[in-house]
Amino acid sequence: MHKLGRSHRDKVQQFMTITGASEKAALQALKANLYKRYKDPYTDMILVDGITLLCNDIQVDPQDIVMLVLSWHMKASTMCEYSKQEFFTGLQALGIDSLGKFRERIPFMRSELKDEQKFGEIYNFAFGWAKEKGQKSLALDTAIGMWQLLFAEKQWPLVDHWCQFLQARHNKAISRDTWSQLLEFARTVDTSLSNYDAEGAWPYLIDEFVEYLNENGIISNAQSMTDWSKK
Amino acid sequence: MSNQKKRNFQIEAFKHRVVVDPKYAEKTWKILEHAIHEIYNHNASGLSFEELYRNAYNMVLHKFGEKLYSGLVTTMTAHLKEISKSIEAAQGDLFLEELNRKWNDHNKALQMIRDILMYMDRTYIPNSRKTPVYELGLNLWRDNIIHSGKIQSRLLSTLLELVHRERTGEVIDRGLMRNTIKMLMDLGSSVYQDDFEKPFLEVSAEFYKVESQKFIECCDCGDYLKKAEIRLNEEIERIAHYLDVKSEAKITNVVEKEMIANHMTRLVHMENSGLVNMLLDDKYEDLGRMYNLFKRVPNGLSMIRDVMTSHLRETGKQLVTDAESSKDPVEFVQRLLDERDKYDKIICQAFSNAKTFQNALNSSFEYFINLNSRSPEFISLFVDDKLRKGLKGVSEEDVEIILDKVMMLFRYLQEKDVFEKYYKQHLAKRLLSGKTVSDDAERSLIVKLKTECGYQFTSKLEGMFTDMKTSQDTMQGFYANHPELAEGPTLVVQVLTTGSWPTQPTITCNLPTEMAALCEKFRSHYLGTHTGRRLSWQTNMGTADIKATFGKGQKHELNVSTYQMCVLMLFNNADRLSYKEIEQATEIPASDLKRCLQSMACVKGKNVLRKEPMSKDIGTDDAFFVNDKFTSKFYKVKIGTVVAQKESEPEKLETRQRVEEDRKPQIEAAIVRIMKSRRVLDHNNVIAEVTKQLQSRFLANPTEIKKRIESLIEREFLERDSDDRKLYRYLA
Repeated sequence: MHKLGRSHRDKVQQFMTITGASEKAALQALKANLYKRYKDPYTDMILVDGITLLCNDIQVDPQDIVMLVLSWHMKASTMCEYSKQEFFTGLQALGIDSLGKFRERIPFMRSELKDEQKFGEIYNFAFGWAKEKGQKSLALDTAIGMWQLLFAEKQWPLVDHWCQFLQARHNKAISRDTWSQLLEFARTVDTSLSNYDAEGAWPYLIDEFVEYLNENGIISNAQSMTDWSKK
Repeated sequence: MSNQKKRNFQIEAFKHRVVVDPKYAEKTWKILEHAIHEIYNHNASGLSFEELYRNAYNMVLHKFGEKLYSGLVTTMTAHLKEISKSIEAAQGDLFLEELNRKWNDHNKALQMIRDILMYMDRTYIPNSRKTPVYELGLNLWRDNIIHSGKIQSRLLSTLLELVHRERTGEVIDRGLMRNTIKMLMDLGSSVYQDDFEKPFLEVSAEFYKVESQKFIECCDCGDYLKKAEIRLNEEIERIAHYLDVKSEAKITNVVEKEMIANHMTRLVHMENSGLVNMLLDDKYEDLGRMYNLFKRVPNGLSMIRDVMTSHLRETGKQLVTDAESSKDPVEFVQRLLDERDKYDKIICQAFSNAKTFQNALNSSFEYFINLNSRSPEFISLFVDDKLRKGLKGVSEEDVEIILDKVMMLFRYLQEKDVFEKYYKQHLAKRLLSGKTVSDDAERSLIVKLKTECGYQFTSKLEGMFTDMKTSQDTMQGFYANHPELAEGPTLVVQVLTTGSWPTQPTITCNLPTEMAALCEKFRSHYLGTHTGRRLSWQTNMGTADIKATFGKGQKHELNVSTYQMCVLMLFNNADRLSYKEIEQATEIPASDLKRCLQSMACVKGKNVLRKEPMSKDIGTDDAFFVNDKFTSKFYKVKIGTVVAQKESEPEKLETRQRVEEDRKPQIEAAIVRIMKSRRVLDHNNVIAEVTKQLQSRFLANPTEIKKRIESLIEREFLERDSDDRKLYRYLA
């Protein structure tokens, strides 16, 4: 059950008095109001304009990673739009029924990114959410944007090199397997690559990345030094 | 029955009359002592054996065995001491003779004495656990003669001296040696070993150490080995003649160690005469000798094998990566075959066909053949050359031999699928140009490939043969149905089933009208009997025979390619044609057209066309005329054969790309097969299993396998395990 702030409680009371509805119903109606505020005039969905307005209301930049967390709660299928169902799912999950509540929940959502488990879920969710509907893979530019966003939160020192490498050498879309394996890689392999196992069944792209790092002298550990001595 | 008293019968011992003469023992002993003296003094003939035996018997019986025994010891010892002196006194060479003579005497005496004292031997001696007479005699001899201060060392040094003399080439008295050594052996194996064998082995080791050092400084490898073999045989012979057979292994060990093992490395690597030189010069005898000698020492054979292997690999590598030899594929393969024959012969003749050497040969070939990525192509070209002309006039058995040798090389290839691709191309050209020397040889090779690689490898090749045969029947049917065509140009069509033949892009050019009409008739005839099929003319693969009459009336029959025919027929209606006109009329692709014109206008002896300007290359502004001055010795002139050539660089790249592309589905199929049966498998095992499955066709690249796995994950055939990212799971 929601903890209602003072002014809020009053509103609900008012509503209940006027309409004679139960607390629960009252809250539902408030949520519906929110939806109405943002929904697109011609379709039963919240589109870009609605989202922009929402961001304004909750004082969050649309590019802020918190929007990803929000979308994750909503189980949104694709970025830049929310279905009615998704919107309500999100509100429910976060216990939001008013804008004030919404704003209050922002710090909580940010904190979720610090949780290892949740970050992983959000990261993996991001793939499906960021890619084009009907496509199997994620376009490179979008992927890079997402990675930079995500790894700003969870520090991964090699993220810039990774993105540079992709632009220089790969130039194709990113598969789901590569996406999810990259997080594993960032989590388990240390930045000097000392515990990188060449037989470790890493996706081919990651193997290439390691080679790229060695070739360009970015990583100078014992491994790469012996390689150079062979040249 | 009368009443008789029972009587106990007692059988009493049969007693001699006991003569209780206190001097009895002494008297009897004196008789025996005297006898012993006489025996030693070669006066035994005057003695009565029976009497002496009885005396000895009595002594023992009357409990005087002790006296008899000790008396024997004393007497014999005294005699031996005498003997010892006389042996010591012998000078120089007579020493051994004297020793031997005295030994023989002693033996004879000992036998007689033993016979006389046999009763004691059988009763007193075992009872009192004393040494039996014969053995006693030997021991006394050993202690008083052999181990006597003056004799012991002299004996040893004499024996060793004689051995040394014999080793340096002198003739010695072997019988004397044999007897002396036998004496030592009879005295006990420890006597033989301590007093002779051990020092003998030490001295021999020293001798051979010195000798081997001397030889190795001045001999080359072959000579050294000869000498070592001689020495070894000498020692074996020596054993047979006068030493204990148990010493053979020990002395041969010494020789092997000193002469062979200690110098093994130096011998093998000796400059200008070592193993490598022997291999290069096919020195079968020397190699055989080395093999037999080195077989005797630890690591000897493995050293030979290793040096041979690394030499072979080096030679092979050079052969294979030499730019010159790569220019002529037939030469390239022939050299490989020759090299293999050479080593086969060496292993057979010198290395007793040992399996380990055969294996070394095979693994070396496998190593360097695959260093050159064009080996599969070249082997196919070699076969092509043989099947076109090389095997002409060769007997059936010899054909089989050559093909079997080729198969041996084929087995070494890691990229058998590349070979398959080229073989198909070359076979297609052979079949279509009718240029195969022997159908049987072709078939024989296919059968061999099938046995080696399975049905799938050869099914398409066999399909090609079938198509050729079917086409013949089709042609017969065609002309049977159209008897009116018998007057015009003769058409021969080969209908190729698309899947079996190497894929060619279909480029149709414009055929001359007469031919075009004929071809259409054939098409309708064929499609009439085979509905639902599609025919496309492969004008880049055909040939034509044309009768031509030149300016001065010279008539020739020209054998040309279809393209060339199209070009030539144009000149029936024009005297002069520009390149562009020809191109337009025939619609032959530019590069082919240029080659086609070049072969008819720029090649001596085949220049049925004349070109202006007279340059070697075809320019797009050139003009062409019939060469009225064309001459040839032959009536039939062949221009432009579609011979299988070594591929040009771009063609090579293209073929390689196609091979790589073909491998991808094969890898995927293998992955799916394995995952389907295993359900769950970790990364490294997947790689290992896939590689093993594909081994018979090509060596799968682990990176490529990984890429295929990822592709299969993408397409949801597989997934990674949620807990262990190295594990893959099959998704039904």
